[in-house]
Formats: sequence, structure tokens, C-alpha cells
Amino acid sequence: MKSKSGYIIGKIIELILTLLVVSLLVFIAFSVIPGDAARVMLGPNASDSQVELLRAELGLDKPLVSRYFSWLLGIFTFNPGVSYSYSIDVSELIAQRLPVTLGTSAIAMIMVIIVSYPLAILSARKPGRLGDQICSVIGHVLFAIPPYVASLLLILLASSVFSLLTVGNYVKPSDDFFGYIGCLLLPSFAIALPKIAMSFKFLRSSIIEQQSSDYVRTSKSHGLSDFKILIRHVLPNSNVSSITIISIIMSDILGGSLIVEQVFNLPGLGRLLLSAVQGRDFPLLSGIVFYIAFITVILYFISDIASSFADPRIRLK
Amino acid sequence: MTRHIHIVKVHHLSLSFPTKKNPNPKPVLDDVDFGIRDGEILGLIGNSGSGKTMTSLAIAGLLPENAEITGGSIKFAGNDLLALDPKERRAMLGRDIGMIFQEPSTALDPLMTVGKQLEEILTAHKDPSMTSEMRQKTITDMLELVGFTNAVEILGRYPHQLSGGQRQRVLIAGAALLKPRLLICDEPTSSLDTVTTVSILELLKDLCHKLHMTILFISHDLSAVRGFCDRVMVMKDGKIVDKDVASEILTNPKNSYTAELLTNARLDTRILGLEPATVDYSTSPVLTAKGITAGYGRSLFERVKKKAEKKDTNILHDVSLDVYPNEILGLIGGSGSGKTTLIRTLLGLLPHEGSVKIKSSSIGAIFQDPVSCLNPSHNIKWHMSEALRASGKAAKGTDTMARITAVLEECGLSAEFLSRRPDELSGGQRQRIAIAMCLIQKPALIIADEPFSSLDASSSAELLKLMTDINREHHTAFLLITHNIHIVRQICPRLIVMHDGRICEEGTTTDVLNNPKSESTAALLEAERQIHGI
Repeated sequence: MKSKSGYIIGKIIELILTLLVVSLLVFIAFSVIPGDAARVMLGPNASDSQVELLRAELGLDKPLVSRYFSWLLGIFTFNPGVSYSYSIDVSELIAQRLPVTLGTSAIAMIMVIIVSYPLAILSARKPGRLGDQICSVIGHVLFAIPPYVASLLLILLASSVFSLLTVGNYVKPSDDFFGYIGCLLLPSFAIALPKIAMSFKFLRSSIIEQQSSDYVRTSKSHGLSDFKILIRHVLPNSNVSSITIISIIMSDILGGSLIVEQVFNLPGLGRLLLSAVQGRDFPLLSGIVFYIAFITVILYFISDIASSFADPRIRLK
Repeated sequence: MTRHIHIVKVHHLSLSFPTKKNPNPKPVLDDVDFGIRDGEILGLIGNSGSGKTMTSLAIAGLLPENAEITGGSIKFAGNDLLALDPKERRAMLGRDIGMIFQEPSTALDPLMTVGKQLEEILTAHKDPSMTSEMRQKTITDMLELVGFTNAVEILGRYPHQLSGGQRQRVLIAGAALLKPRLLICDEPTSSLDTVTTVSILELLKDLCHKLHMTILFISHDLSAVRGFCDRVMVMKDGKIVDKDVASEILTNPKNSYTAELLTNARLDTRILGLEPATVDYSTSPVLTAKGITAGYGRSLFERVKKKAEKKDTNILHDVSLDVYPNEILGLIGGSGSGKTTLIRTLLGLLPHEGSVKIKSSSIGAIFQDPVSCLNPSHNIKWHMSEALRASGKAAKGTDTMARITAVLEECGLSAEFLSRRPDELSGGQRQRIAIAMCLIQKPALIIADEPFSSLDASSSAELLKLMTDINREHHTAFLLITHNIHIVRQICPRLIVMHDGRICEEGTTTDVLNNPKSESTAALLEAERQIHGI
């Protein structure tokens, strides 16, 4: 039998290998895209010799392999270089924008969990009853609304109907933490809505499945109350499968946040990414893409480790 | 002598499952009336769907929500159970009534250690005077009572780290932990092999005496209650059709249905006269396996680690065997002896060391569970065509259909089955389809992994006849895994016995069965004798 530490070490090796593959893919993708950063920076009127000079300055004239390794070193030491278009360190740019994207994602994730879990438990208690059916129908509708449409509807509701929140203003967390949370609530909700529906649907069916399993019958025959069986047996078992789903939802939310930022006019990574694409800003672009991939891979890594703690059988496989 | 005081009295109980469309359906239990005497072991026998499980669930108060008791009463130690509220009834479970179920592999929570699951029973029935140490002591004592010599070690194990028999022992320990007066056993041995079955039955009998428990023992198999129950009741269509002292009912059944059940349970009389093909052992074998060593969990990373640790997780150790043309080679062994792993290796489904040589383009396989082996969303025609396509011997158009119907007919199924789906077939029919799917590929060898274990005696007999017919007419060799000694004696000229991943005995069937040389073969035969009375 494999020990827990052995399993985690194996997973860490897997994580590092995955990150290397991701870095290679990101680098190759941006190297084969047509377009020359030096020419874009200097404008259409620059002479060939000027462009060559800048290429040499940026290190673009070096062979691909050596460029990859120096880029890789930069990425892993959190120093991916200076942005062509902003002339600021990429890591500094990302650090400025990260609170918006991470904040929106975290709030959305919390919303997903605190709404979908109780609803799924209530719905699964009496499947097929009226309450369950209503929840399911609402779930289907929410599931079908893409976040950017939900965003527009929410902006309309919040600003013109209820005049509750000022949309489009961003407050830094260092200035006013609650103001920061407040301005991220609506975008987070827009991202969370379809994910709540997804997570509700999944949890509900997983709880119903566990409730009819043999060990629940055994627990009943031992005289345990329904509530105890739910807390001690049904939920931990349904969590085993939901951990994977939750981690998929998390990375989805991260992607969704990049889009919703645009609609709510928030200075997050999404907008930075867009301007980096337009300016052929390779250091910035590759930095953002790699770090987002990095966060996603870390999320999956955490979910694997969490699964192994939740399910003793996983360490055997 | 048992005391004639009824601990449970079921009085004219009727139960049905009404729906909106049909508010008065046919009752599932129809005027069931019986008593369980204090200290006895009462057997409740009947085919599936006869209402025996519903009777036990009604006593325990664990009926499905849509069940409705339409009449009668259930008294436990004088108290009317149906008058109690659900919470009180639930609290009686574990304390006054214990239950064990059919499938020990899924009856324990996979995420919780044995110790935690057992402790939960003690904490659910709150006894404030009990400290944590006292609970541990109660649990280890009970685990020792059910036969664990390493009780403390078992406490920290997860269910997947236990064998089927061990799991059933843990479940019995849980059910008996609070020393309930009544223990309901719903087919506790039906998924266990014969050796384990005998030991579990002995344990239950022992507990019955030591803890002064009364046992209600439910089974579909009459032979399982032989020598175990004091009295036996027979159920059919929700009614009790016969009840008597066990010795009487098993030897001189007065009721015609009981007599029918008894004959059905006896496979041995039905298979007499089956003729397998004669085997020429001088020809070269259809299958030769040499030095097979295999196990699970052999990913690249594991292998590197294994080499470093020199730890052996192999299930099979240096197994070699030959199957000759025309032969039906028997393979027996207790559970966990490596039979199924060997099959998986021979079929190429598991990485292994050693060599497997097959002198044929295709080998067929049929498995234990005919329900999950067929695709529920496709009909039989699709299954047959798929098998034919997979063999690479498919022809175009009507030719294919003619061949499919011919093979089906040979397997005793008419062309009308072509449009049926697996759930519209009986277990025996499904197993025939599995054979037909092999046969259409014209294999030189069919590997059959306990194909009879989920079938009743009459379906098994028909399937056996089909297999011997195929063996004679198509000269197809079989490698037959079974735990039924009757079948082996009848149709296998040669026999292999496995134990702990090794072949412990090999030879002609008469030699092996009459003069077993290894201990494990002797134990296997002894258990068979106790259960099936050979």
C-alpha cells in the first residue's frame, strides 16, 4: 500500500511536469503567432535597421531554444520581463490587477458553495416533491444564461431599477476593503449564477445516489438518525465526487471573471490580457496566460490532494 | 428445547405499494401471520419477489416510503411496533433489533474506518456512563467474539482493506454490538464463497447461544438453511405457504411448492447424463500459459518504487496451465485465490510477467454477472452484430442476419429475441446471449468466469447443457471457473485448484476430488459437503 506522503510526492512531481508542459505550449503558441513585436512597437514608418536594433535589444534575434530557457527562468522566478507597451515589470502589472480577478472569483466561489449546498440537501431530502421541482426548473434556466448576459441584466436591475450600487467604480482593497467587496459583488453574482445551478444539479443527484446506497441502510439499521446519517455518511461520500466538480467550477469561474470584468469595467486581468494581445506584448501576454494556467493547475493539484484526504481508496490506485 | 414465548408476533400483516394510478394494487404481503420464538433460528425461504425481504423490513421499520401497511399488526416483546412513532422505532434498531444484509462489499461506509463505524452505534444509543475507553473495549471484545484475532488492528482498517468474509464479520459485530434480542439476517451469505459461508453460519449460531439472540434468517436457497435453522417458513407471492421444523420440511415437504423449491435447489440430479467431448491430450494445447505473475497497481511510478522497496503486491505467482482442444478444464478455489485475476491476465486485460500463447484468432469470455455485461441501451441484434464485427469475420447483408439467427437458435433463443433489450430478458437468457456472442466469433476457447453464480438451478442446468453441446459439436474448449463441485464432477475431465494465487493442485477431476492432496482443496470440499451435502 502506498503511503499518503508518497502519494503527495507523486502528485507534486506530476504538478511540476504539467507546469513545464504548459510553459512549453504557451511559449510555442506565442512564438508561432505571426507579427513582430518590434515592428508593432515602432510603428509602420520605422526603418528595417531600427527594427533590427530593437529586436536585438529585446533579445528576439536569439535562437528559439535559448529564448525559451531565459523566458522559463523568468517565469519561475516571478520575473517574466518588462511589458513592451507599458514599460513596467510584468509581475508588477499582474500584481496590480490580480486583486480584481481573484476577488471576483473567490466571492463567486463562496456564493456557489453557500447557495448550492443547502439547496441541494433540501431538494434531495424529498426528490420529486414540489420544492425540488421548482429548484430544478430555476436551475435549468440559470444554467442557460451566460455570465455576460447575466451581467447586463444585473447592471440594469441594480442601477436603474433599484439604484443600489454604483456600477463601474472600482475601489482598491487597501483604500476601503468593504467598498472593494461591494463593487465586486454584482460581477461575482453574474459569474456565480450558472455555476450555482451546475453545482446544485450535481450535488443533488450525488446526494440522492448516496442516500440509496447500502451503507446508509446499514446505518439506519444501527439506529442512527437521518440527520446524523446525512452529516456523517452521505455528505462526505458525495463530497468525494463533488471535489472534482468544484475544482472544474473554480477554473471556469476564473475564465468567466476575465469576461465579466469587461462588462463591469473593472481593471482586472481580463482587460490587461486584451490590451496585451492588441499590442503583441509578448512578455505580458505570456506572463498572464502562464500564471492563469498556473493557478488552474494548482487548483487541480489541491483538488487531487483534497480527494485523497476525503477518500482513503484513492491512495491505493 | 426452545422456549415457546414469541419475541415477535406478526399478526395478519398486509402490505402494498399504492400509486395514484392504482390505489389498490396486488398486495406484496398478504395476510402474513407468524411468530418468532425466543431463542430460535427461524428460516424464511422463498424465491425473489416472494415478500421475504419486505417482511423483515416491516419488522425493522425500514420499509420504503411508498409502502403502505394495509392491515395487521407487528408486536415486539409485547409492544405494538406500528403504534410507535418513527423516531422511537429507529432508536430500537441496533438496540433491540439488529440487521445484516446481503452485500457486505457495499454495506460499510467506504470513507470511515471500522472502529469509527462501530463506535457510532454506541454513541447513537447514548449511554452517558460510557467513556471512550469503555467504548473501545466493547468494540474490540465484540470483534474478537466474531472471530478477529487482531481486533485492535481491524479498528483502524477501511472497508476496502478487508475481504468479503471479514466485512460480513464486521457487519455482524455491528449488528450484535448492543446485544439486541432479535437479529435479522437478509441473505447474509449469498455473495460469499462456500468456505466463508460455512464459517459465517457457524459464527451466527455461536452468537445465538452466547448472546441469547433470536435469529430470523432469510434466504432464497433452501440448502443454505440445512442444519442451521430450527424452523423454516416458505413464502410465495406474499403469503406463507408452509412452515415446519427444519428437519421435517427439508426431508419430507408436505407442501407441493416447498417440494418444488427443494428439487430446484438440487442441481446435481439435473445435470446427470451430460456428455462433454473426449479430449486427446497428445495434441498441442489451444492455450498455454507459462509462469504468469501479475498484480494490480503497476503504474510506471509504482514499478520504480516497487523495485526500490522489493515489496510484493502480486496476486498471481508463477501460474502455468494448458488448455487442450475439446477440453472443459475446471478451475476452482476460494474467494481471493486469484481465479478472476488469472482470467483477466489470460484475456490480456492485465499486464503480467510470463507468457500466454493462444492457438486461435479469437477466444471468447462470459462473466459472472449477465446484467452489467450487456449494454442496456441496445437490443440483442446490435449485440450480436457488434460481436461479429469485433471478430473481423462479418459478411454483408442477409448473410449476417442468417448467421445471427442460426447462432441464437443454437443457443435456444428464437429470432423474436433480436429486437429485445437486455432488461427484457431473464438472467438465464442473458447468459445465453453472452454465449451466443462468443459463439458467433467461432472461438477455439471460451473462458467462463462463474457463469452460473447468479442463476437458479434450472437455468444453470440449461446453460450447462448448452455448454456441453457446444463443446461436443463445435469442439470448443472451455476454461470453466466455478465453485460448484457438482458441475465440475460432471463435465470437467481435468481440474485445477487455486489457492493464494498459486495452483495448489492439478489432475483428473476424480483424483483431485476423491484424494485431495492440499489442505485448501480439502477445506473447499468439506465446506461444499456441509452446505450442499455431497
